[in-house]
Amino acid sequence: MTKTHLLGASGAVTRRTLLATGAAALAMPMLSRRAFAAPTELTMLAWYGHAEPDIVAEFEAEHNVKFVPKYYTGGDNMLGLISQSPAGTFDIILSDAEYVQALNAAGYVEELDPNDYALSDYFPEFQNFPGNWQDGKLFSLVTRFGFLGVAYNTDALTEAEAANYNVFWDPKLTGKVGHFDWHLPNLGQMSLTAGNAAAYDMDEAGWEAVKEKTLSLRPQIGGFFDYGGTFSSLNDGQMLAFAGIGDWITGVLEKNGAKVRSTIPEQGGLQWSECFSIGKGSQKADLAKKWIQYITSAKGQAKSAQMAAYPALVPNQKGWEVLQAENPAEAKRQGMTKDAGNAMDMIRAGRIQYRQWPVQQDLETWNDFWSEYKGA
Amino acid sequence: MRPKISLYGLTFSLPLLVWQLLFFVFPLLFLVALSFWTVKNFTMRPDFDTVNWVTIYGRAVFWQAYANTFAMATFGAVLTSVLAFPCAYAIAFKLSDTARRWAVFLMVIPFFTSYLVRVYSWQIFLSDAGIINVLLGWVGLGPFPMLNTVGATTVGFLTLCFPLVVLLQLFSLVFIDRTLIEAAHNMRCGRLRTVVEVIIPSARVGLTIAALFAFILCFGDFVSPVYLGGGEPTTLSILITDTTKSGQQWPRAAVIALTMIATLLIVAFAAVRFAYATTKGGRK
Amino acid sequence: MTARPVPLATGTSTFTPAKAKSRKARKTAEQGARDLNRNRGVDFALWLYILLAYAFVFAPIAASFVFSFNSDRFPSIPLGEFSLDWYRAVASDPLVWEGLRNTLVVGVITGVISTVLGFGAAYTDYRYKFMGKQVYLALALLPPTIPVIILGLAMLAYLSRVNLSGNALSVIISHVVVCAPFAMAIVRLRLSQMDPALEPAAWNLGASDWQTMRHVILPFCKPAIFGALFITMAVSFDEFAVAWFVSGLNETLPVKVLGFLQGQVSPRINAIGTFVFVTSMTLVILAQLLLSGRGTKFRNPSAGE
Repeated sequence: MTKTHLLGASGAVTRRTLLATGAAALAMPMLSRRAFAAPTELTMLAWYGHAEPDIVAEFEAEHNVKFVPKYYTGGDNMLGLISQSPAGTFDIILSDAEYVQALNAAGYVEELDPNDYALSDYFPEFQNFPGNWQDGKLFSLVTRFGFLGVAYNTDALTEAEAANYNVFWDPKLTGKVGHFDWHLPNLGQMSLTAGNAAAYDMDEAGWEAVKEKTLSLRPQIGGFFDYGGTFSSLNDGQMLAFAGIGDWITGVLEKNGAKVRSTIPEQGGLQWSECFSIGKGSQKADLAKKWIQYITSAKGQAKSAQMAAYPALVPNQKGWEVLQAENPAEAKRQGMTKDAGNAMDMIRAGRIQYRQWPVQQDLETWNDFWSEYKGA
Repeated sequence: MRPKISLYGLTFSLPLLVWQLLFFVFPLLFLVALSFWTVKNFTMRPDFDTVNWVTIYGRAVFWQAYANTFAMATFGAVLTSVLAFPCAYAIAFKLSDTARRWAVFLMVIPFFTSYLVRVYSWQIFLSDAGIINVLLGWVGLGPFPMLNTVGATTVGFLTLCFPLVVLLQLFSLVFIDRTLIEAAHNMRCGRLRTVVEVIIPSARVGLTIAALFAFILCFGDFVSPVYLGGGEPTTLSILITDTTKSGQQWPRAAVIALTMIATLLIVAFAAVRFAYATTKGGRK
Repeated sequence: MTARPVPLATGTSTFTPAKAKSRKARKTAEQGARDLNRNRGVDFALWLYILLAYAFVFAPIAASFVFSFNSDRFPSIPLGEFSLDWYRAVASDPLVWEGLRNTLVVGVITGVISTVLGFGAAYTDYRYKFMGKQVYLALALLPPTIPVIILGLAMLAYLSRVNLSGNALSVIISHVVVCAPFAMAIVRLRLSQMDPALEPAAWNLGASDWQTMRHVILPFCKPAIFGALFITMAVSFDEFAVAWFVSGLNETLPVKVLGFLQGQVSPRINAIGTFVFVTSMTLVILAQLLLSGRGTKFRNPSAGE
């Protein structure tokens, strides 16, 4: 009767000791690093990439600060994280414009003093940005924004073809159209395609039209993707057209040589915006304020526009000028120039509408419909 | 068996009990309570309202996702078990002791790599311009769409479960009483017959537990369906993230989660009962 | 009399079970064993199968390794240039180091605690019958059935209320909850293979409960205990979902990787993956060498050491 043994008879201590010493060895670089520097830590709750060296290195060096980021994957995710962490966990909060009001209402952010910031340098359209102010008090500052339109593979479609949302229904794109997996931007675009004047404010009939239009697109869809998945499927050519996104994705891919672009179609585009605020109960409110001052200054804005994680347009006029001097190619690419048809012109011509919560329907209704659509 | 309560017995039984009570049961009870809360304007409010249960169970999407997830998990578990068995069998019976030790060591390595990293790698293999399609292209075969399909999700499930299932099956096979096998051979049983009538029943516990683990892992996985399957079809895990992605609907998500728990519980107990059915005390 | 080859179970249809049995009865055992159960073809097929299985398991790992040295931001074939950029990016990121440290600390401690708790529970299940045993087992085995997303949130909400969230301790607590059932299942499996007469035999010979445990049960369960330790550590190493919720700002490495996958899909993932892989492989190889160096001599488990 033989019974074989898989593992040796003894030596548990040896293995554990090995792992323990290994762990201790790995801890050494951290300890020595800490001993010398001792910078102040600033915690930031934001979308991916906002605490990477390309954005924060200069500020960190100047103020002896170390950013500790917690990256979230969506506004609800952000709210969930804040609500379950003790007050003061996050010094700086970056939030999509739609969520800023929720932050205010729940008391998650500190009040800001408008005199501390270069608001007068902003374009007039952004000085009173909806959601930033409440009862005459300032709680957050819009720091970057971007447009959502048709993202497409330049080998597969021409700019003219992509200048209309109806291209998503083109038979040659069957199975090759992707959705960014969030209902808000996608249904907003469908709403514009269905002919609603206001993307997010429509009555029952308008909502039915949106649902119908959206469902008719289902056979064309190749998949529903998150942030990372959107990057890879566009880059690999897995998807040839994408709904619900804009230059914030294709800009990064373009910089890395992918053959993709975004364009604002004739039915109009949507605008996403991000705002910075100071977390309630933060122990380092002063430093947090310095950061917001930095990122809203002309220099910081130019940096923000060129952020490696995803590029954006910026609301500070002086920021535009700095960018035009520093990186004229990028300024031109994004439309932050003095030429006709630049980003502000588009907004002023009414071609861009804010992305916002649906006005006449429940958020739940939209969410439920999106789940149904995905399962269709 | 001595039925007396002794310090000896308590030393072994209590620690886990206390731990799970404190850190598992209480959060779970909280989850049940949470499913009755209501949400208004992005904030949850403690409440006692069955609206969440009614809403979720009333939606066709939920039942569709449930059926899809159950089917995919069953398929994943069965496929993994079937594919893993020849491998485990070969390692258990055809390799020398040293070779077996190395085989086990190699099969443990995937546990020390990240599942996420492996899924990311599979994207590189399966995409239209990926490695497999390029290789097929050299032979003249057209690019096949492999990513964002159920097939790709299954590959992801295999990546998740295969090493674990092989090891568990192996663990069971290796400890089979060899005299039983000799006896079968002495009675002129063919190889296949020995396997089917002697080995598999003897290893029943291990095989069932392995399949059960695979089922559980596949049922709750959200990485493969999202990153390899492209979010299609909607699984329960995707439904949970969707429910919480807009409007902080954690109570609704809790309802879905509790349903998943109930399902897995039933499956687990059925499987364990089946596994240990005739093997109480080690006698067959 | 010449040996007439008996076809395998999948053979011709002229053999009925009755005929086969009578013919079998005429053969000698050894001859039959030799002929029937060593088939070169099947052996070769099985070897090939093992190779294919390992190829499947290691393909993504190998690809990750290769692409970590690839300069392309979005990897595919044909390969870009050889580059160490991603490693530099990862190595110079102190947050990654911290993540690795957290992962190791959490993993080791979780493994040890889980194995201890799991062993205790498995032994209790094996030996004792008591009222409420079903409930006890349910408690012990339930955690893996909870979808990690919700377990993560529930743990975060609960732990933050008792001020235990957002650090390594909270991850350890959560991971032990998830891993202990694995340990218990593995040890229980091993115990079910033990002759139930073994323990009473030791008692009859005068050993106390504790002595029996030390000299009989523990040595018998050693492979299972190691297996449980291994597997619980491994589960903890790679666990990202629950850790993502409760680790707060003290992220473990898998949480970082999830962040990369969701955020940028950067080949940094490959660099981290390869680095962690090489480190763990080295540790495990060392352990294996030490083990096989010490104990290739085979021992009867019941005899103790």
